[in-house]
Amino acid sequence: MTQSPTGLSAEVRRVLRFVVSELWPKGPLLTPFNLISVPVILLGIGILVVRFIYGLGAVTNLSQSYPWGLWIGFDVVTGVAFAGGAYVLTFVVYVMRVEKYHPIVRATVLNGLLAYMFYAGALVLDLGRPWNAPNPIIGNSFGYNSVLFLVCWHFMLYMMAEVVEFSPVVAEWLGLKRLRNILSSLTLAAVIFGVTLSMLHQAGLAALFLMAKPKIHPLWYSEFMPILFLVSSIYSGLSMVILEGTISHRVFSNQLDAAKHHQFDDMLLGLGKGAAITMFVYYFFKALVFLHDRQWNLLGSGWGAWYLFEVLGCVLVPCVMYIVAVRTRSTGLLRVAAIWALIGILLNRLNTSVFVFNWQSAHHYYPSWQEIVVTLTVVFVEIWAFRWIVLRMPVLREAHQLPHPESPVVAATA
Amino acid sequence: METYTYVNIFETKGLEYLLLISFLVLFVFLVRYLSTPAHKR
Repeated sequence: MTQSPTGLSAEVRRVLRFVVSELWPKGPLLTPFNLISVPVILLGIGILVVRFIYGLGAVTNLSQSYPWGLWIGFDVVTGVAFAGGAYVLTFVVYVMRVEKYHPIVRATVLNGLLAYMFYAGALVLDLGRPWNAPNPIIGNSFGYNSVLFLVCWHFMLYMMAEVVEFSPVVAEWLGLKRLRNILSSLTLAAVIFGVTLSMLHQAGLAALFLMAKPKIHPLWYSEFMPILFLVSSIYSGLSMVILEGTISHRVFSNQLDAAKHHQFDDMLLGLGKGAAITMFVYYFFKALVFLHDRQWNLLGSGWGAWYLFEVLGCVLVPCVMYIVAVRTRSTGLLRVAAIWALIGILLNRLNTSVFVFNWQSAHHYYPSWQEIVVTLTVVFVEIWAFRWIVLRMPVLREAHQLPHPESPVVAATA
Repeated sequence: METYTYVNIFETKGLEYLLLISFLVLFVFLVRYLSTPAHKR
């Protein structure tokens, strides 16, 4: 059925009126989170202005020896691992058809999409010549020989796949039923495309470090780093879903119906089980790489102790905690295990990209306070965007619980 | 001339094979352990 031009323009006007009406803030403005995040964001924007006028050296401790610092180490390398929950959960729900996790899949996809938009977007902050960023896309200089070419295209295509996965939510919010049905029919293809891309670039991020063999401590460097990054991204993503789901469950509890409240603990325990098994596999891989490279003699140093802390303290310990939590059905312990596992991922990614990078150098890199503020800014802006969307779109609640675009309240704002 | 003994698990890949076999056995036990119905606290 085709729509007449008059009907179409009326529909467009209705949608625009609805979007404008939704722009106003919902809920109290003077919350503790707002009071902390707004000054940090404003300061971060100011620092970024200085960075783009005077260059990286004006606000960062980066140098020719340390061209990659906190912005790459945390925002990109760690942030992408944290966002791994989206590809894991969409695979489980849409490909394996495990419907049990369906209630949290939208929030997870949104979290993944925003993480990629903000963390991968933060990559531009770290480019000495950011105006060259579109080159791999427009063909001015593709740079086929660079791993970053692969990472760039994967990030971009994966973000598009996630936009398609999330688009039915936007269509439901706008009350566009036919568009929603069309977009929903694309979901499975987008998920398969997205999972393929995501697995490749999770490993591809580690491939960036393969060419820096002399600079990375042998305990962390391995030709198997891409596999280790991929496997660890699975439990990292699951841990992030547990943590993010727990926070969303409390902050947006009014958006969930009673049935979802009841299912929530079961979902968390199922995710914890997946995380425990994946961590066990990762731990085995780490042990195998360690034996294969015959690194016993390296354990006696301070770096060896740091390595053992990462592998035993931040992989084996949370793995055991996950196992105990699943067996005893303790969601409290499960959340602690999730946080601990995420700290382990943070440590592993920062170790690889920052702490043990140039480990033999006399000069060491420490992030400046401006780098830390900008990193916090990126995180806070992402949380603001997440909250704005969850409060308006059917992410946690069903579409029928939303104020309909044609409802009297919305119409009155016209 | 370098000496090489086939019974030294540190020189051969013996240790890696032992680790792999242990992992496979433990993995089966872990999955079974996590899949059996647990008691609610």
